[in-house]
Amino acid sequence: MSGGIRVREARCRGCANCIKSCPTEAIRVIDGLIRIIPDLCIDCGECIRSCRDKAITLNEDEWDLLKSRDGLVLMADPTFYVQVGAYSRPRLMKEALEHHGLRDIAEYASIAFDLAAYAAAGVIREGGENRPYISTYCPAVIRLIQINFPELVGRILPVESPLETAVTIWRNATGGKEKVTLVAPCPAKATLVRCPVGREKSSLEYVVSVQKVIRDLLACNVKVTGTKTKAISRRWLLWSISGGESRHISSFSDKGLTSVAVSGLRNTMDLLNELELGRFGGVDFIECRACDLGCIGGTGTYESRFLSQLRLDNIETEWLPSHEEMEEIRTCYDKGIWRLDNPIQVKERLPLSQDLGEAMAKLREMDAIYAGLPHIDCGSCGRPSCRALAEDIVRGQGDETDCIFKLRERITALSGEIRALSSKLPHTLHPSGKKRQGT
Amino acid sequence: MGQEPYVEEYTIQAGDFTSIGEASTKFRATLKMLGIPSEVVRRAAVVAYEAEMNAMIHGGGGTLRMTVASDHLEIMAADQGPGIPDVALAMQEGYSTASDEIRELGFGAGMGLPNIERNSDRMNIETEVGTGTVLTARIDFPGQ
Repeated sequence: MSGGIRVREARCRGCANCIKSCPTEAIRVIDGLIRIIPDLCIDCGECIRSCRDKAITLNEDEWDLLKSRDGLVLMADPTFYVQVGAYSRPRLMKEALEHHGLRDIAEYASIAFDLAAYAAAGVIREGGENRPYISTYCPAVIRLIQINFPELVGRILPVESPLETAVTIWRNATGGKEKVTLVAPCPAKATLVRCPVGREKSSLEYVVSVQKVIRDLLACNVKVTGTKTKAISRRWLLWSISGGESRHISSFSDKGLTSVAVSGLRNTMDLLNELELGRFGGVDFIECRACDLGCIGGTGTYESRFLSQLRLDNIETEWLPSHEEMEEIRTCYDKGIWRLDNPIQVKERLPLSQDLGEAMAKLREMDAIYAGLPHIDCGSCGRPSCRALAEDIVRGQGDETDCIFKLRERITALSGEIRALSSKLPHTLHPSGKKRQGT
Repeated sequence: MGQEPYVEEYTIQAGDFTSIGEASTKFRATLKMLGIPSEVVRRAAVVAYEAEMNAMIHGGGGTLRMTVASDHLEIMAADQGPGIPDVALAMQEGYSTASDEIRELGFGAGMGLPNIERNSDRMNIETEVGTGTVLTARIDFPGQ
């Protein structure tokens, strides 16, 4: 858990919906309250979707407080620009935001996304053995790889998220010193701000959800003309739908790019499994998104993902950058601001013990405990599966009687014992109740 | 602690393509629980996967066993299949006796045995035509 998810304990009923929805089995319900294991959570937001009580939400900063400040600068995720028909172009959105006194840095974002695609094409071209490369764009996928697929960490593109790079380009171009707020479609993107990977500190300061800002805009119903700001390219908006990033990279690639794009966690995990087994020879680039259809399916969005998809399908896109844009991209490229500062590290889960012999003994114990459990993964014990309960028990974080079936077995055994005991009589009493005949 | 090795075993069904890579995935989970370094886990997963595929495609099913000791692990695949008449030929990259059906599924590229050899520190094949094949691959832990 890296700051993308917030649990509101007062609302939690202690049901098992979120436990079962978590793809990395990071959730437990202990003593009626959700506990998230930080080492396992990838901030994908599946638990948010599954919670009927709204006890789990996207962890965002206070929008009302932020917008009351002067000169708020917004760095909006491309998803933000395909939420409502009226503002479905960056220049229209910019105008609507300016009406509220908010500054949007979309024109720098468009350069940053071009730069990321251009840099990625270069890395892939030189890649050789390291192909297929994996996209760095979805933070949930990166965390999933760090935790569950550590063998693939070396394949992650060393290209910084364009959401970060955009702020750098804006600061360099305008000298702007203001703190920047990310408008994020999901909890995973919130982690860019709160707990960045591959860099020491984020260039972004605050985070709010796409949903919050859009609702606010709609409530005011600002009419826009689209004439107040200059046109901004739209290639980068396609990054919010599965396959858009690959398309953008291939437009900068001098030879054909073989890429595979999948969305949704189930598909992502299947693909990473197959990739780990070396089944993607001949593929150059792999684009995974944790949410269905891509970022437009994020839990912090406002619009139906299907309508967003429709909007993106009908967007007119000029894939070739203009001469001026290309010069700008090359200048930024030469500065190297697109590169991740540090290589992405593996996040190994704690083994059962640091000592191999002891870990083996615990694993045997775990196998034995698991063999005695009912194997129906009902979730009543507050764990996602019987296997997870067995693991918690050997790690000292659970008891066999947490399992309702085991508890019943114990009660049955105990009641049998009580019955047997109650039928025993002291020797001074005869079972018939008569006194013995004296001799 | 007494260092009795940890043993895990799986049965491989002939032609059961629905469970591809299952044993390999389970072995990987076990090795992570034991805190084995990720590079070793990666190699073991490839070895297990290729050995599992070989037993499934050529050996008519069999047994896959992983033994984890204090300084190394060993993966053994045993089948009662037709055996390998010419081991040196089978070890050549790109050589395969897989049927067209198998190739259509994207397997049988003739890279299985070379991959096992590349990802293990020691590999041994005992085979007898008409009786079966036993493959063992050993991976040493770093610093041993």
